[in-house]
Amino acid sequence: MSSLDAIIRELGRAAARARGARYAVHALVAALAWIALMLVIARLTPFEGRALAAAVGIPIVFVIALGAWLLRRPSAAVLMRLADFRLGLKERLSTAWERRSESGPMDAVQLRDALRQASGTRLATAFPVRVNRGEASVVAVLAIFSLALALLPNPMDQVLAQRQADRLSQARAAKAVQAAQKKIADNPKPTPVDPQVQKLLQDAAAKIRQADSPRKALESITPAEQQLQKLTDPGTPALSSSAQNLANALSATAAGKSAAQAISSSPAQGAQSVRDLASQLQSLSPKDRDELAKALAKAAQQAQNSQMRDSLNKASSSLKSGDTSAAAQSLNDVASQLDSLQQQENTDQAVASAINGLEAARQELAAQADRDATGQGAQANAGTSASPGASPGAGASGNGNGNGNGTGTGTGTGTGTGTGTGNGGTGGNGGTRGNGGNGSGTGSGSGAQSTERVYVPGQPVPGQSQNDPTPLGPGQDVPTSPYSQVIQAYQQAALDATDQSLIPGSERDLVRQYFSQLGEQSAAGPK
Amino acid sequence: MIAEEPRVDAAKVTELARSIETELARLIVGQQALVRDTVISLIAGGHVLLEGVPGLGKTVLVRSLGQALSMSFSRIQFTPDLMPADIVGTNVIGDEAGRREFHYQAGPIFANLVLADEINRATPKTQSALLEAMQEHTVTVGTQTRPLPSPFFVLATQNPIELEGTYPLPEAQLDRFFFKILVPFPSEKDLLEIARRTTGESAPQLRAVADAEAILAAQQVAREVPIAEHVLLYAARLIGATHPDRTELDGVRRYVRWGASPRGLQTLVLAAKVRALLEGRYNVAFDDLSAVAPPALRHRIFLQFEAEADGISADRLITDILEHTVKESARA
Repeated sequence: MSSLDAIIRELGRAAARARGARYAVHALVAALAWIALMLVIARLTPFEGRALAAAVGIPIVFVIALGAWLLRRPSAAVLMRLADFRLGLKERLSTAWERRSESGPMDAVQLRDALRQASGTRLATAFPVRVNRGEASVVAVLAIFSLALALLPNPMDQVLAQRQADRLSQARAAKAVQAAQKKIADNPKPTPVDPQVQKLLQDAAAKIRQADSPRKALESITPAEQQLQKLTDPGTPALSSSAQNLANALSATAAGKSAAQAISSSPAQGAQSVRDLASQLQSLSPKDRDELAKALAKAAQQAQNSQMRDSLNKASSSLKSGDTSAAAQSLNDVASQLDSLQQQENTDQAVASAINGLEAARQELAAQADRDATGQGAQANAGTSASPGASPGAGASGNGNGNGNGTGTGTGTGTGTGTGTGNGGTGGNGGTRGNGGNGSGTGSGSGAQSTERVYVPGQPVPGQSQNDPTPLGPGQDVPTSPYSQVIQAYQQAALDATDQSLIPGSERDLVRQYFSQLGEQSAAGPK
Repeated sequence: MIAEEPRVDAAKVTELARSIETELARLIVGQQALVRDTVISLIAGGHVLLEGVPGLGKTVLVRSLGQALSMSFSRIQFTPDLMPADIVGTNVIGDEAGRREFHYQAGPIFANLVLADEINRATPKTQSALLEAMQEHTVTVGTQTRPLPSPFFVLATQNPIELEGTYPLPEAQLDRFFFKILVPFPSEKDLLEIARRTTGESAPQLRAVADAEAILAAQQVAREVPIAEHVLLYAARLIGATHPDRTELDGVRRYVRWGASPRGLQTLVLAAKVRALLEGRYNVAFDDLSAVAPPALRHRIFLQFEAEADGISADRLITDILEHTVKESARA
C-alpha cells in the first residue's frame, strides 16, 4: 500500500459496497413490510389503491435507502478506526491518519509501521459484503407472509368490485344524462328553456357522479325531474287537443283539408296553412264558407283551450255572417295560437328528452342498487342500462298489451322507460321499477292505469287519428298519447339507443325483436 | 513536512526492555506479567508497589533488577521504629579541620533503585518521608533541598496478610505509586523450576544490561509515542468510570468511595505508551490501556466497606469498567 490515501480509497470502496448491500437489504425489508402492511390493510378495509400504494412504496423505500447510503457515508477517520478494529491493526491506521499532518519524533516511524501492517492485510475484508442473518430471516418471513396474503382470497375484493360496479353504473347513468343534454343541445329548434334544462341536467349528472352510491345518486334524480316538470306549460295539452280537434274538423271540409293535414303534421305548418286559408276566405264559394264555418264551430265546441275556442267561434260566426275579413282576423289569431303551441311543444320536447335521460339514468342506478342490495353488486353488467325512450311505455291507453313494463318511477311521470317486468306504478308512488334488466317484459304487467301520469316523448305519427285524446287526470300536467300514435317514435328511439350502445349487445336483438313484434301488432290494428 | 527523528530508536527501547526481561527471567521463574509491569514502570519513570505474601520473590525481583541495571541500589527495611531520618538522611555533627559543625549525612534514599521492603510496617510519619522523594525526586532536610539521582525508582513491597502492627499507606502515598503490582502465587510448574534453580549448587548471577543513561533515554522515547484522540478519549472514560458520581456501572456506584485521580490518567497513558513500545508498536492501542489499567488503577480506587463485606475487589470493578466502557471505533 503506497499511502494512507490509497488505503482510504480502498477502504472507502469496500465500505461503500458493504453499506450498499446492507442498505439494499434494509430497503428490501422495508419494501416487503410495506407490501405486507398494504395487504393487511386491504384485508381489513376496502382499499382500492392497494396495488398502486404498494407499488409506489417500493421505489420510495429504495430511494430513501439510497439517500441514506449517500448521506451516511463514514468519514475517513471512522473508516480507519473500523479497519483497525476489524483487522486487529491495534489502532495503527487511525493513529497514522489522525497524525498525518503532524511531525512528531515518532510520527514517521509510526506511519511506516501502519503502512507495513496494512500491506499485510486484505483491507476489503474489514467491510465484508454480507447479509445479516436476522434480516434475511425477516425478508423470508415477510415474503412468505405477503405472498400468502396476496394469494389467499380477500373478502374485500367483492366489496371493491361492487364499488367499481357502482361507479361504472353511476358513470353510465351520468352518460345517459349527458346524452340527453347533447340531444337537447343538438336540437335544431332551440327553446327558451334550453339553458335551464341544460343546467338541470348538468347538475344532475354531476350529482350522480359524485354520489357515494347508486342509491344516493337516485335521490338526485327525482328533484331534477320535478324541476324539469315545472318548465313545461300546463296548458299545452289543452291547446294541443284543440289543435287536433281543429284538424279533425277541417279535414272534413274541402277548403280546410290541406290545413288539417298541416296541423296534424305540425302546429307550425298548421299555422301557416291556417293563415293561407284566412287569406283565401274571400275567394271561397259560399258553400265552402258554410262548410268551413260549421267545421270551425265544431272545433270550437270541442276546444279545451278558451282562446282557441273564442277565436274559432269568432271565425265561424264571422264566416256565417259573411264578414270574411273578421273571419280572416280570427283565423290569424288561431294561427298565432298554433305558433304558440309549436313553441310549447318544442319546450315540452326538450323537457321530455331531459326526463328521458334522467329516467335512463334512474333505470341504470336502480338496477345497480338492487344488485347491491342482493349482494350481487359486483356482478355488474352493462345489460342493465336502459335506453332513453326505448321502452314502449306504460301503455298509456291502458289496454294491457302484455308488455306492461312501464314502471312507475315514483316521480309522478311514469315514463315507462324501464325494461323490467314490474307492473306499472300507480300514481307515481315510486318503488316500482323493473326488477330485472332482461328488458323482456313477460306480460304480467297490467299497463298503466288511466290515471297514471305517463308522459310520452314520442310524437304521434302524422295523419293518425286524434279523435279521442286522453283527458288530463287530476294533478296531471302532461298529456298522454294513444299507444298506436307513439309506437313508431318509440321504436325508432329504441333502435337509436341500441345503436348508441346504451343497451348491451346481448339485449339488442331482444329489443329489436320486441319492437318488431309491437310494430306488427300496431300494424294489425289500433291499440 | 519533515518528521523529527526520535533521539533513540524506538526499536532499541523494545530491545532494552526485552533484554531486561530476559535477564530477570534467569532468576525470576514465571511471573512474566510481574516482570513486564515492573519494566514498564521503570521505563515510564514510575514507582512500584509490590503486594504479595512473603516468599513470592518480591525482594528478589527488586534485587535482581538492581543487578540487571548498572545503577545504584539501596534497600530500606521498613519497621515500626524506622525514622524518617533513617531514610532521607540527617545532619550530623562532624569534626572537620578542627571545627565541629553539622554536615549532611545522606540516607539510603539517595540511590537510583530503592527497595522499600515491607513499607506498611513503618509509621505514617516515616512513610510520608518518601512523599517528596517519590513525587519531586528531591529530599529536603532542614532548610536544604537536595536532588535525588536520576533515574530514581522506588520499589516498595507490602504483605497483605500480616496486618497486625502495620500501617496502611495513606491515599496520598498510594497515589504516588505508578503501579501497584500483585505478586501471584507461582504455578506448580513454576514452583518446580524455582526449586530446581534455587536449591542447586549455585544461583545464577545476573549481568547488567542497561545503565541509567539508557533508562533515561528510553523514558524520553516512551513519552514520544503517539496516541490517537479516540484512544485518549477511551483512557479518560476509563478514569471517569471509576468515579461513582460519573459512572453508569452499578458496582462502581455502590462500592467505590473515591475514583482514580488525574494522576491515574497520566499513569494509564504513559504506561500504555511504554507497553506499546514493548509490543513493538509505535502507537497506543486500546489493548495497551486495557492491559495496564489494573496495575495503574487498582490502588487509586478506594472502596467502601460494603465492597470488602461483599468480597468485591478493585480488580473486579476494573474488569467491569473495561468491559462496559465504550470504544469509539466499536461504535463507528
